[in-house]
Amino acid sequence: MKLFKIFIVLMVFFSTKGYSQNVSKDEMVKKFVQIIGDEIIDVAKNKKLNEVQKKQQIIKLIDKSTDANWIGRFVLGKYFKTATAEQKNTFMSYYREFMINTYGPKFNSYDGKKFTVNSVEKQSNFFLVKSEFVPQNSDVVVFFNFRVKENEGNFLIIDFIAEGVSLIETQRSEFNSTINEQGMDKFLENLKIRIDELKLQNSKATPKKAKK
Amino acid sequence: MSRNRFVIILSFLFLSLFYNNIAVADDDEFKEFETAIIKGSIDDPFEKYNRKIYKFNDTIDKYFFEHLARSYRKTIPKPARLSFRNFLDNMSLPLSAINSMAQGKIDNGLATFSTFLINSTLGVGGFFDVARKKGINYEREDFGQTLGYWGFSSNNFLMLPFFGPSNLRDFVGFSVDRTIDPLGFNTLQIGGDTNFIDGSKRIFNTVFKVVDNREELLDIIDNIRQDSFDPYATIRSAYLQRRLAQIEN
Repeated sequence: MKLFKIFIVLMVFFSTKGYSQNVSKDEMVKKFVQIIGDEIIDVAKNKKLNEVQKKQQIIKLIDKSTDANWIGRFVLGKYFKTATAEQKNTFMSYYREFMINTYGPKFNSYDGKKFTVNSVEKQSNFFLVKSEFVPQNSDVVVFFNFRVKENEGNFLIIDFIAEGVSLIETQRSEFNSTINEQGMDKFLENLKIRIDELKLQNSKATPKKAKK
Repeated sequence: MSRNRFVIILSFLFLSLFYNNIAVADDDEFKEFETAIIKGSIDDPFEKYNRKIYKFNDTIDKYFFEHLARSYRKTIPKPARLSFRNFLDNMSLPLSAINSMAQGKIDNGLATFSTFLINSTLGVGGFFDVARKKGINYEREDFGQTLGYWGFSSNNFLMLPFFGPSNLRDFVGFSVDRTIDPLGFNTLQIGGDTNFIDGSKRIFNTVFKVVDNREELLDIIDNIRQDSFDPYATIRSAYLQRRLAQIEN
């Protein structure tokens, strides 16, 4: 009977501890995303930096705050199981460069008034972070979410969701369809070509298009 | 097994569950992510035909609609474009309110209808979104979403000529919305008068809406064309995810 009592006490203790841990983890995740968002806006707003410098700094921020290996494996979808070890390694090394060089520069225009993390919700093994952004020349609030994963005590972003559309889910669909069409080797070849193009683009200022 | 040992094993089992520290194998983590977070699947049995229609739409767009949208963006200042968009949005609000009500979203339906009344009057015929500035927010609803809410599945993905991505459910929804909307096909005779709203005004509204929509999508479509290895697959996935999110909102 005594052992049963100890068991109940331990259960209550650890369940409470687990709860408080989750609460503080939510706060930590909130802080992590808020800091990244603020850093990106600070770079985008910084008038001392030219466009290329901004692109490079944001690429670094995206690189340090995202789990490219995890995302890479996810977007490879069913082909992760069928690809050879060499193809997987090549893909993983290419994917990181592809991701940061494709999406990093897009945050260049995020020179907004304010970025706010509204809430954090634990979903499965991940945190869903709901946030809002007020652009510089508009009062219309843009809502978007992040998925954040804990990795050995650090938090890393694994997804960006806008208007209900998940970036990694969309990319998984795109990559799977492309590999299905072209085969893995051809896809890797094209991925490398794309990375080289992106790197070249990101080392230069964007040509002016029609005004927005 | 002695009682003591049983209690100890049970304790560890519960503690590990509560402590939320179970080492999860990578494969399990991926499986959990896929099943718990990624909802919906892609059902595209007509892919071969859909891709041909996508190619047709893309060509028409590159040679006509995109240019029209860019010229519109270039010539009309942003505040004026936003006002026109508000006006067009406002015209579609009564139908959105009806769809909200049909889904039992009474608060959203009332917020939508209030927005329509406020913007039509204080917002000078809908050109200014006064209601949103006053903190009235609503979610837009259409009959495709209503069907989804009622439990109809999206069925097969469809790429419609000129209209773009859809599915069987949303195509039915779109047809119903257009049929009962006085600014749409207007096939319902209202008070016995088929020309409840003059035909030329309905055509003007439709053309203007197409130009406005395309202008709104300029940057998104530019990004897809530039970044995607397979724009068709990207658009298909994004469309299906967005519709699912709209139904679940």
